[in-house]
Amino acid sequence: MGYTLNRQQADALLAALRKDYTVYAPKRFRNQGRYSDTDIIRYAEVERFEDIVWQTKSDYPAKEVLTPIQQAIFYFTEDEYRESKGPRKPILILARPCDINAQHVQARIYAGNGGYTDLYYERMRELVKFAMMECGGGDDTCFCVSMGTNKTDDYSLAMKFSDDGVQVQVTDGAFAPYFGDLPQADYTPAFVEENELKVTVPDLDDKEVRKALKSHPMWQEFNARCISCGACTVACSTCTCFTTRDVIYGDNPEVGERRRVTSSCQIAGFDQMAGQREFRSTAADRMRYKVLHKFHDYKARFGDSHMCVGCGRCTHRCPELISISATVNKVSAAVDEIKAGLAKQ
Amino acid sequence: MNHDINVKKLRLNCFRQSKVPGEFMLQMRVPGGTVDAKYLSVIQHIAETWGDGAFHFGTRQTFDITGIKYENIPAVNEYLEQYIREVDAELCGVDMDTVAHEPHPWDPKSGYPTIGARNISGCIGNYHCICGNINTFELARKIEGIIFPSHYHIKINISGCPNDCNKAHLCDFGIIGVSKMTYHAQRCIGCAACVRACEHGATRVLSLNEGIAKIDKDPCCCVGCGECVRACPTSAWTRSEEPLYRVILGGRTGRQTPRTGKMFLNWASEDVVLGVLKNWQKFSAWVMDYKPEYLHGGHLIDRAGYKKFKEIVLEGVELNPECLVAEDIFWHETEYRSNFNVKPIELHHTAGPRA
Repeated sequence: MGYTLNRQQADALLAALRKDYTVYAPKRFRNQGRYSDTDIIRYAEVERFEDIVWQTKSDYPAKEVLTPIQQAIFYFTEDEYRESKGPRKPILILARPCDINAQHVQARIYAGNGGYTDLYYERMRELVKFAMMECGGGDDTCFCVSMGTNKTDDYSLAMKFSDDGVQVQVTDGAFAPYFGDLPQADYTPAFVEENELKVTVPDLDDKEVRKALKSHPMWQEFNARCISCGACTVACSTCTCFTTRDVIYGDNPEVGERRRVTSSCQIAGFDQMAGQREFRSTAADRMRYKVLHKFHDYKARFGDSHMCVGCGRCTHRCPELISISATVNKVSAAVDEIKAGLAKQ
Repeated sequence: MNHDINVKKLRLNCFRQSKVPGEFMLQMRVPGGTVDAKYLSVIQHIAETWGDGAFHFGTRQTFDITGIKYENIPAVNEYLEQYIREVDAELCGVDMDTVAHEPHPWDPKSGYPTIGARNISGCIGNYHCICGNINTFELARKIEGIIFPSHYHIKINISGCPNDCNKAHLCDFGIIGVSKMTYHAQRCIGCAACVRACEHGATRVLSLNEGIAKIDKDPCCCVGCGECVRACPTSAWTRSEEPLYRVILGGRTGRQTPRTGKMFLNWASEDVVLGVLKNWQKFSAWVMDYKPEYLHGGHLIDRAGYKKFKEIVLEGVELNPECLVAEDIFWHETEYRSNFNVKPIELHHTAGPRA
């Protein structure tokens, strides 16, 4: 069933939905950008239709709702502890297809990976329904079509925004009552069919090629360019890495909480082990790890997709202007070179 | 060639005497150091038509054209009308028919009416720079109409951030764009990138609280530069929604007692900065008994004393809640001559209305 709503009707719909759902959408935070007089668009609860930023891609991904940068996982007092409660109210997230597809990747890591289902992800995921925001094509850092993540049918509502209001397709009967006698009009969402940017993921099936790629000089560039800040992985739609931290509330070490806090493979010390041993101690090593994890290792293990949805947020947020798509293309060139070399031998 | 030229009159008209008799250098105002590039052809035209073909970047960001012969000054002034109208009257909203806010009709064919308040210089600010906290030339354009045209002298330098590339510390009234940062602890991943940035590029006010893996801050010594915001990968540090300003007072170069300015206002709003500047003429006039001399603002503060300065320039200014004001200022001068200020009492300068 489809509806066409003007702004007032959209506001009324949002108000009705908010009675039963916490509604999250990309929201503009004025002058909170990295540089002065620039804004940040990130996920937050929206109260009014005009709060929803649909014109441009958010700087930070929808994953921040499901896997917040910081969450309490349990509270402890002496030898007793209590699991954190987490949200109770159902959640509706307005997200573009890339962000929805990213949740399939996150679910793969959190739910069932290693025979273990992560309670904190699972209890959140069960509350979440998606309203798919029809994407007008993103920007020149997007390459969802190359990654096959431009389409999705995993949504309860589809929405196409304009300055005048919103067209809605209702695919989940649970949402039908909110539309009552709102004006009906057929609407079927369209998906991005082509991005300006096209990325060819290199074929890394051959172990000899991977071995040669690991020591290929192409990675050295990042020792001079990458500052290992982790902005790319924080902005990544799919990255799941976190660390746990115990916080003691005051001067009594018996009372506190254990938190889950986002972490990043790009930050020095991420892989430090007992004895201060690190696997990847340079920016080049860390970049290689990230790129190959996203464009080979994940798929090699789980089989269905790469760990990148082509949202381009890592490129968009990188303060050193390192482009993930350009990097993957450099990997492709290096792989061609390696393969040519191996063929000669 | 005319050998009877009133060079002081020409200086007020923004033509500076050359070592070559009968030649002058035009100084064109560029408030905040930024104007439309189309004016480069205006400079070229003046330099090639009436000047010696050279162009100099004025140290206060004026467009300087050398080698203009005295007899060509009227033609240059006539040609300048459009530039002055577009840049000062229209872009900056300057009322050209006033001097020091008193009615004084401007003859548009006569060039600049006063030299007085010098060109307001500015770094490029956040129009371009990744460090800038403010748009420097937009602020300069708001100030231009307050201080110009006037025969009272003031040098204003605007820097977009506390790195102070434009040397707010070396002028009468230096303005530095700052911000009060907000810490969103919920977004902080404890990576300490901000701690390193602050230590490397600012005042070491941040530290990682190892117990909770969050950031502690010594807000007292924060210079408001925003390096933490730039360094943060998660937007856990953000600038205040509206920019704030630091005012550095009484800096100067010179042959007698050069000195670095000292902080007069911290965390001032734009309204406060503009309000103080609106009182600047009043203070200058009071010190010099309403007769402008060729003396810059810092010297006037020396004559009147900082506390008198503070009393007059803060009159009617409603300070924003965050704004801090220096109770007193003790400048440290380079005394080229030891005990420079010790001299016969009849040589002492006085301030205020004279009997």
